[in-house]
Amino acid sequence: MDLEEIIVADHFDTRLVKLARKGDQGAFAELVDLYKDKIFHLAYRMLSNRHEAEDIVQETFLRVYKNFHRYDEKQKFSTWIYRIATNLCIDRLRKRKPNYYLDAGMNDQDGVDGYAIIPGDERTPESEYLLSETQAMIHTAIEGLPAKYKSVIVLRYLQELSLQEIGDVLDMPVTTVKTRVHRGREFLRKKLEHKAVF
Amino acid sequence: MDCKHASTLMHDYFDGDITHEQAVELKGHLQSCSACSIQFQQLEQTEMTLFATLRHTRISAPDGLVSRIMNEIPKQRKQQVWLKVIKKHPALTAAAIFLLVMLFSTLSLMKADNQLIVKVGDLDQVVINGNIVTVPEGSTVTGNLTVENGKAEILGNVEGNLTVIDGSYYQASTAHISGKVKRIDQALDWIWYRISNTFTDVAYR
Repeated sequence: MDLEEIIVADHFDTRLVKLARKGDQGAFAELVDLYKDKIFHLAYRMLSNRHEAEDIVQETFLRVYKNFHRYDEKQKFSTWIYRIATNLCIDRLRKRKPNYYLDAGMNDQDGVDGYAIIPGDERTPESEYLLSETQAMIHTAIEGLPAKYKSVIVLRYLQELSLQEIGDVLDMPVTTVKTRVHRGREFLRKKLEHKAVF
Repeated sequence: MDCKHASTLMHDYFDGDITHEQAVELKGHLQSCSACSIQFQQLEQTEMTLFATLRHTRISAPDGLVSRIMNEIPKQRKQQVWLKVIKKHPALTAAAIFLLVMLFSTLSLMKADNQLIVKVGDLDQVVINGNIVTVPEGSTVTGNLTVENGKAEILGNVEGNLTVIDGSYYQASTAHISGKVKRIDQALDWIWYRISNTFTDVAYR
């Protein structure tokens, strides 16, 4: 996206948001359509599970709808919606922490989780998205990140946000974001080096 | 420059947050330190792999998610717009409702009394024909005579007050009314009459 496109997109966002806040359901549906994939991808990277990612998308938009009156129009809509989605993901990760030792980085079996082994589940397997071995490796590497680095890394490389924007989303100072990006990047470098990606 | 500082500068570089002087400094260190040089290469590849891979992995939300979300949100907030106005101006709303209730009750009271009502002490002294109440010549009504929604024709004697509400009266030259004659037309007069009547009634009991 070049700068002009970004400005046009932002302007479009603002108009849709204004209409949706007034109760225009058509405008709200368009916002959902505009952001659903981004939120889904973000949640999928955070949680490595499509069912949970779906839940997050749904919950995120319900919260957006219910809390529209709290949205500050001076803020970018994307920042606000990413914040809601990221917080929901972080909550989920926190809740399941006893079962998943993310910090130990042992989650190497790709896509094996409670949902994936439910018999008769006809949904797409987790690996369907990951066409190449490199993609699978990156996915695993991100999955193994400790939660606090994961959110920063996903926002940085997936949503391509600036450090300042990540700070706005996660409500933390840029210096903290920076430290986390550095540590996360270092963590991933070692992972990928270990897997001989280079 | 030590390797720790170089590492920080490398990350700053990938954040796009490094001055020209720092970059030159870093380059100098990388040329002389092979360990840092390898680290830099690996970080560069990590950075590129991450951006490229994540951007090219097409992950999209499952079909039907939009309609599922739209089904879950509460239906039509539009209907509640008037409710919002009411919530914003409670005093105005209360005043408006009060006036409305008053108006309706007054109107209904007035409407209810649309038929002819005659109040008189001795009914055999008057003749009622349609909505005309006549005191014939030679008859004497003792006590007050009240006619509502009708026409009063006095040819004889009335030993008391004559009150005509929402109607008219005709007094012949032969008539004799010992009390006061009152005509009430307007709603306000009528209400006042009702109130004063209640009080006099109470006073006489």
